[in-house]
Amino acid sequence: MAGIFIYSDKADITSEIIGFARLNGKLPVVLTLSEKDAQALRNAGADKIIVIKGQSEMIENYARAIAAVLKNEGAELFAVGATPRGRDLAARVAGYLDCAMVSDISSASYKDEQLICTRMLYGGAVQQTEKLSGLSVITVPAGKYEPVQGEASLQTLELQADTRVSVVETAPIVKEGVDLSKAEKVVCVGMALDKAEDLQIARDLANVIGAEVGCTRSIAEERHWLPAESYIGISGAVVKPKLYISMGVSGQIQHVYGIRDAGLIVAIDTNEKAPIFKAADYGIVGDLYQVVPMLTEALKK
Amino acid sequence: MSQVIACYKWVADEADIRINADLSVDLSKAKGKISDYDKNVIEAAVQAAAALGGKAVGVTFGTADAKPSLKDALSRGLDEACYINAQEASQADGAATARALAAAIKKIADVGLIICAEGASDTYSRQTAPRIGALLDLPVVTSVSKMDINGNILTAARKLDDCMQTVKVELPAVVAVLPEINPAPIPGLKAVLAAGKKTVTELKAADLGADLTPRSTVSEVKGYVMNRKNIIFNEGDLAEQVKALAAALRKEGVL
Ligand SMILES: Cc1cc2nc3c(=O)[nH]c(=O)nc-3n(C[C@H](O)[C@H](O)[C@H](O)COP(=O)(O)OP(=O)(O)OC[C@H]3O[C@@H](n4cnc5c(N)ncnc54)[C@H](O)[C@@H]3O)c2cc1C
Ligand SMILES: Nc1ncnc2c1ncn2[C@@H]1O[C@H](COP(=O)(O)O)[C@@H](O)[C@H]1O
Repeated sequence: MAGIFIYSDKADITSEIIGFARLNGKLPVVLTLSEKDAQALRNAGADKIIVIKGQSEMIENYARAIAAVLKNEGAELFAVGATPRGRDLAARVAGYLDCAMVSDISSASYKDEQLICTRMLYGGAVQQTEKLSGLSVITVPAGKYEPVQGEASLQTLELQADTRVSVVETAPIVKEGVDLSKAEKVVCVGMALDKAEDLQIARDLANVIGAEVGCTRSIAEERHWLPAESYIGISGAVVKPKLYISMGVSGQIQHVYGIRDAGLIVAIDTNEKAPIFKAADYGIVGDLYQVVPMLTEALKK
Repeated sequence: MSQVIACYKWVADEADIRINADLSVDLSKAKGKISDYDKNVIEAAVQAAAALGGKAVGVTFGTADAKPSLKDALSRGLDEACYINAQEASQADGAATARALAAAIKKIADVGLIICAEGASDTYSRQTAPRIGALLDLPVVTSVSKMDINGNILTAARKLDDCMQTVKVELPAVVAVLPEINPAPIPGLKAVLAAGKKTVTELKAADLGADLTPRSTVSEVKGYVMNRKNIIFNEGDLAEQVKALAAALRKEGVL
C-alpha cells in the first residue's frame, strides 16, 4: 500500500503528521510499539495503525525491519517525529534504504509528485530547499501541522528486532522547569554568570515583570544550573514571548534561532560586538551585575 | 577489536557567514573549524581507546580545504587520521557522507567503536551515526551523555526527552555522543608539535569504491535575516541608559 508511513514516540506529533498526510491527499499509516499507543491514536485520522510486535522495547531496534516493510508496501515517505528516538530511527531506516532524508524540516509540500522540503543550516543562518523523489525519510518537529479526525483500522505485525542494544534501566526525567514555549516573557541568562547563586539576579527581574527564567545550552548542559528544558535554541526550546531579555548571552546563531519569533528582544552584555546586539531591538552595553539590578528597580515602579 | 574511530567534520564557521542583500549566502570569508561537538568526539575516542587498549583514529570526509583540520584533530590526542579528500564532499548529503565514512572505516582493521557527534554545526542533521550503523550493520546508540567500557561491553546513558535510558551493547558499535559527555580540553603546545609527526592516510574518492552522489537535490540556498530595531544604549551614565530602556519597554507595551 502506498502512502505515508508515520512514527513518533509523541502522540501529538503523530497526530500532526497524520494531518500533514491528509492535507496532501496521502494515506497515513501509523506505526506504534504498543496497543495502548494505538488506541490513543484510534480517532486521529489515520487510515491504518500497525502495532509492531517483537522482542525489543526500543523502536530504534526495528529500523531494518521497518525499512523492509516500507519497501514491500511501496511506501512513498517515512515521516517521523523529530525527537531523539525518532531521529535515530529515521536515520537508521534511511541508512538501510540508502535513501534521501531531510532532518527537522521547517516546511514540506508536494509539487509534481516531488516533496519539497526546507530546513535550516549553520544553526539557523541559512535555509536550504531540497527536493525528494522516491521513497524518502523526513523528521518533523512538533507543532507544524493541524491534527485531524477519523477512525483507523488496527492491525498487528510481527517484526524482527535487532536486540544487540538492550535497555538496562530507565529513569524518568522529572520536568522541573516550566514550558518556556508558552511563556509571555522570558529572562535569559548566559555563561557570564559567575556562580549558580547569581541566578537570583535574573529571578528578581523575572519576578518583577512576571517572566520565566531561561538560559543558554551551556548553563543547562555543562553547568547544570537550570534543568535541560530551560535552555533556548535550535537544540532546546523555541520561544515566542512578547518580551525576551538576555543577560550575558553572546547570541550565537544556535541560541538566536530559538528567539526569532519573540516580540521584543532586549540584550545586556559587556561586549558591544556580541552578536546578540544585532538580534536585539534594545540593548545596553554593560555589566549585568550592575545593569540588571538597576533595571529591576526601574521596572518596579 | 581495539581501534576507536572519531568521525569529525571540517566546517565553515557559522559566525563568519555573510548574507547579501539578495539573501544569497557568502561563505568566502568564513574560516574553517572542527565542528564544535566533534571536539568532544575526539576526546571521547581518546578515552575509549585508552579503555580498550587500542588506537584512536580520526576519520574525516572533506574537500581539499579540510587539510588544516588534520593537525588540529591530531593535536587533540588522536593517534592517527584518515582523510578522505574528495571534491564530492562539498555536495554530499547525509546518505553520501555516511557511505564515504563507512567505506573508509571498512578499510581500517579491528574497529571496536565508531564515535560521531550528536550533530554537525553546519548541517545539524543528526543522521550520520545511525546511517553508518545501518550501512555497516552495526548496533547504534545515540544521544549518549555518558559511557563506560568494560571489556567488550559498552554501557551508555542516553538522554531522551522524557527519560534517561541506560543501555548496553557488545562492541563493535556506533555511538553518537552529546557534548556534555566530556569537556574537550584545548591542546597544549607539546601536543600541537607532536601532531605533525603522526600518521595521516589520505584516500581519494576512487579509493573508496563507494557511490558519493547525494540522494536529495538541493534547489535553493538562502540566508535568513532578522530585522530588529537595534537601538543600543551605549553612551552616558549607566543609570540614564537603564532609565531610557525602562521607558522604551513601557512605551512598547510589553510589560
Ligand atoms: C550544533 C549546535 C547546537 C547548539 N544549540 C544551542 C542551543 O540550542 N541553545 C544555545 O543556547 N546554544 C546552543 N549551542 C551553543 C552556542 O553555539 C553557544 O556556544 C552558546 O549559546 C553560548 O552560550 P552563552 O551565550 O551563554 O555563552 P558565551 O558565548 O560564553 O557568552 C557569554 C557572554 O557574556 C558576556 N559577558 C561576560 N561577562 C559579562 C557581564 N559581567 N555582564 C554582561 N555580559 C557579560 C560576554 O561578553 C559574552 O557575550 C549550540 C552549538 C552547536 C554547535
Ligand atoms: N564529512 C564528515 N566527515 C567526518 N565526520 C562527519 C562528516 N559529516 C558528519 N560527520 C560526523 O557525524 C556527526 C553528525 O553529523 P550530521 O549527521 O551531519 O549532523 C558529525 O558531528 C561528525 O561526528
